[in-house]
Amino acid sequence: MTLTTAGMHPPAESAAPAPVLSVRDLSISFPSEAGPVQAVRQVSFDVLPGQTLGIVGESGSGKSATAMGIMGLLPETAHVSGRVLLGGRDLVGLNDRQLSAVRGKGIGMVFQDPLSALTPIFSVGRQLSDALRVHQSLTKQAAWNRAVELLDLVGIPDPHRSARSFPHEFSGGMRQRVVIALAMANSPSVIVADEPTTALDVTVQAQILGVLRTAQAETGAGMVLITHDLGVVAGYADEVAVMYAGRIVEQAGAKELFGRPTMPYTIGLLGAVPRPQARADRPLVPITGEPPSLVKLPAGCSFADRCPAAVDACRTQEPALAAVPGHGQVACLRVGDIADGHLAADSLFPAVADAEEHGGAGSGGEVVLRVAGLAKTFPVTKGALLKRRVGTLHAVGDVSFELQAGQTLGLVGESGSGKTTTLLEIMRLRQPEGGRIEIVGTDVAAQGSPERARELRRAVQIVMQDPSGSLDPRLSVFQLLAEPLQAVGADRETIQARVSELLHLVQLDASVTDRFPSALSGGQRQRVGIARALATEPRIVVLDEPVSALDVSVQASIVNLLTKLQRELGLAYLIVAHDLAVMRHVSDRIAVMYLGHIIETGDTEDLFTNPRHPYTEALLSAIPVPDPQLERSREHIVLEGEQPSASRLPSGCVFVDRCPLYRLLDDGLRQRCRTERPLLGSAGPGSGHRHACHAR
Amino acid sequence: MIHKSAAASTERVFLPVRKHHDHAQTRHTPAGPACGHRCRIPLLHEGGPMVRHVMRKAAGWLAMIVVATNVTYVLAAWFLDPRSNYRGLRPVRTEQQIDHALTPYNLDPRVPLAVRWWHWFSDVVLHFDWGKSPVGASVNSEIGFRVLVSGQLVTAATLLSVVAGVALSVFTASRQYGWWDRITQLVSVFLFNVPAAVAALAVVFAGIWLNQHLGWRFLYVAGEASPTVSGLWPTVADRFQHLILPTLSLTVLGYVGYHLTQRSLLLDSINSDFVRTARATGLTRAQAIRRHALRASLIPTATSVAFSIPAIFTGAVITETVFGWNGMGQYFVQTIAKNDVHGAVAVAAFGAAMTAIGAVLADVAVVLLDPRVRVS
Repeated sequence: MTLTTAGMHPPAESAAPAPVLSVRDLSISFPSEAGPVQAVRQVSFDVLPGQTLGIVGESGSGKSATAMGIMGLLPETAHVSGRVLLGGRDLVGLNDRQLSAVRGKGIGMVFQDPLSALTPIFSVGRQLSDALRVHQSLTKQAAWNRAVELLDLVGIPDPHRSARSFPHEFSGGMRQRVVIALAMANSPSVIVADEPTTALDVTVQAQILGVLRTAQAETGAGMVLITHDLGVVAGYADEVAVMYAGRIVEQAGAKELFGRPTMPYTIGLLGAVPRPQARADRPLVPITGEPPSLVKLPAGCSFADRCPAAVDACRTQEPALAAVPGHGQVACLRVGDIADGHLAADSLFPAVADAEEHGGAGSGGEVVLRVAGLAKTFPVTKGALLKRRVGTLHAVGDVSFELQAGQTLGLVGESGSGKTTTLLEIMRLRQPEGGRIEIVGTDVAAQGSPERARELRRAVQIVMQDPSGSLDPRLSVFQLLAEPLQAVGADRETIQARVSELLHLVQLDASVTDRFPSALSGGQRQRVGIARALATEPRIVVLDEPVSALDVSVQASIVNLLTKLQRELGLAYLIVAHDLAVMRHVSDRIAVMYLGHIIETGDTEDLFTNPRHPYTEALLSAIPVPDPQLERSREHIVLEGEQPSASRLPSGCVFVDRCPLYRLLDDGLRQRCRTERPLLGSAGPGSGHRHACHAR
Repeated sequence: MIHKSAAASTERVFLPVRKHHDHAQTRHTPAGPACGHRCRIPLLHEGGPMVRHVMRKAAGWLAMIVVATNVTYVLAAWFLDPRSNYRGLRPVRTEQQIDHALTPYNLDPRVPLAVRWWHWFSDVVLHFDWGKSPVGASVNSEIGFRVLVSGQLVTAATLLSVVAGVALSVFTASRQYGWWDRITQLVSVFLFNVPAAVAALAVVFAGIWLNQHLGWRFLYVAGEASPTVSGLWPTVADRFQHLILPTLSLTVLGYVGYHLTQRSLLLDSINSDFVRTARATGLTRAQAIRRHALRASLIPTATSVAFSIPAIFTGAVITETVFGWNGMGQYFVQTIAKNDVHGAVAVAAFGAAMTAIGAVLADVAVVLLDPRVRVS
């Protein structure tokens, strides 16, 4: 087969190297009861050696199906057409045996969820050497040695010993390093990374992106980086393709795409992303509506229904990707107007005008939640039948904060820092293991009568992370909303009235009352989750990762809804989220947690612009910014290692093992960091910004 | 940080020893590789911990056998009435004569239960003598050959059932919802509902039909051996010929469970992320299923095989009856019908021992299949 690049995608420069991977008109459909699901439609792109193509899109946009189509790992029922040319050889239509000779050798793949991507019953060294021996004739010993080298390359400490470890002995970040080692083991010419950092903490994400760069440098491979995180793409990709409803709707160099997005969807998407460096008073602009069903796509542009720039012609013909001078390719009928500035990109998604000054309303209100010295430990046990206690996990060490009505406090930190445990301890409404919790002036340990206890229960409600998991699939929306009301003893008419009131509050149509959660979209489900929490007219709403399971364009509307509800109802929010950019938008105050301790707390703006604790500094620096120029020019503080186990807390500062500042200190101060736990101290008199560090 | 799809796929992945896995994750993951030798899994070649582990388990089971057997003795001596064996005899005997006749067998009801129990217990412990039946036959000699008779039948049938069931599960799980999957499932579900006696009779008829068509009596349909055969090889051949049909009828009934459960276990792990990773490194689908998915999903099956051993031993009653085998299953029914206290207790003890052996084998199998299980 000759190496031909189809005429519609000529390489930008004639001197450009031949692409290692060319995808041409790739279409993938899956059969379903409702008809074929057209997951991917006419996708074409080239990947050059050593370069990275980022594919961004929301869930259901076909980006993962594209990756699986390239790898030939789609289910057998999938119908694939088009061409996937790897070094000139078409992979579409090859059988499993022929493809298996390519997989791992020609194309390596990095998967999303490192926790489940490795076989639990084989040591990582064995899995790596197996992968090597599939394609190379090596002795077992030689393969093992190479496996150890690879582990060293991806930054696994003590690789000789680690090679004999099993996946469950590794943290998520370490496992993802192993998966990357697997992908690069046979020096493939292309690496496909499908959401490689989505399941990881932000500081670990920064490390893993570094490892991917190493892998790419080592193998010289071209990379297809698939992600929903625009910040990751901005920092990593050379070229970006935006997918929507199975098609590429805009493809351009990273700088051009982020600098001058041209397809209305891209414009909307970039507007909906909370930016960590942006002040919170700019409200997020959601894209209204939901992505279309891929079963029976309408005739016109699939984005037309959500597009503010749509004209009649958009609904009758689907625009093809067309080159825009100096920008790449865009699939939009109105590209001419947008590109030459007749239609200003900013005006497409105007900010909602009714968003008043954020936050200020509630400051100075009544203190509804007071937590002082909260501590919670878990026993570490050993043995299957007779559990022996072998240690103690200090999930929450010494946590104190206050929350006022109308205010939002954000708890920030990596997984394992004790955020969720703190929430659950508050929700438990019992005397905590250590410290005290006061809700609306009542100490939960001394709540006295059952009536008072029920009142407290009404006053605190929770919104869960995953709305599809937290709503009973067998209850209709009405029943879901009626349940908390029945629990507090409301009568039938009150319930009827309150349910429609709640639906109105969360901006859901009354027609959803008979539906079951499975018939709702993710955004609608989370609205039901919020309505359910509001049913009993709580004073405090605890939100555990309220938007992390949602797509960017939907996430923005939920964030705006939360802000609106707070303003109208004077709620106090206690939010846990890993997405710091979202936190900056919703929180009035932030508390940064590390290993069960609050290490810094202060007003959101103050904390973001002027972080004092070295951990906060690193955490903020690790957030990828969806702006390629800023992302590539700013200085990143990449923390080494991962948060240690809370079963062996350092006796001094909890952050001492990873502290970048510690290395620069003199011996006297170092000694203090090692032995004496720093207390939260104010930066200045009267300042609410406090941090716990000896060195600053 | 938990992302929705991360959480979802963790749910989907089948983790056969979830308890251990979760334990390890929550307790050790944060420490990562730093957890060092504390997390080291004793491998097979390290020997020591594994042997100790098995010994400790075996000791626990031994204690359980002792308790179970003694409880059974008390219950059997209480409820079974050995005198009824003599009541039908002519000339009619007096109650006294009957009791007297039972005295040498330690079954005399006039002797206090505690005393009878002590005699029985000390004989078992000191001489491994399990006592006599109400008509004086030694339980030991009855059990001895029956264990062998049933043993060859049950072992062969179990092995065949597991091999057939697991092989079929791999074949059909790889072709989920394909024609072969549907047909074999249909057959298995049908066989699952066939009573053992009907299956055994069908096998007998098939055997007879085959013999007639071959014009040579190759398959025997009754007994476990021919009395007239002598010499080593002729005996082996003869036993084998007797063994084929009963083994077949037990296998036909036994493989179904393994097929259906293993199929669903395997389907869970075939769709798991690590199989996809294995394929991405260059294994074909079939290789990835065999090397990665099957082993992980075999663990529950290994446990269930081990624990089914006692049930198969005593549950072969119908097959043994149809084929006229003097095995444990038949003896089990016979002892209760004949009020044979010592025989019934011996059967119970045997069942307990089989359970214990099965349980220890299950432990060993799980440790061999899954090196994550910490032997400590």
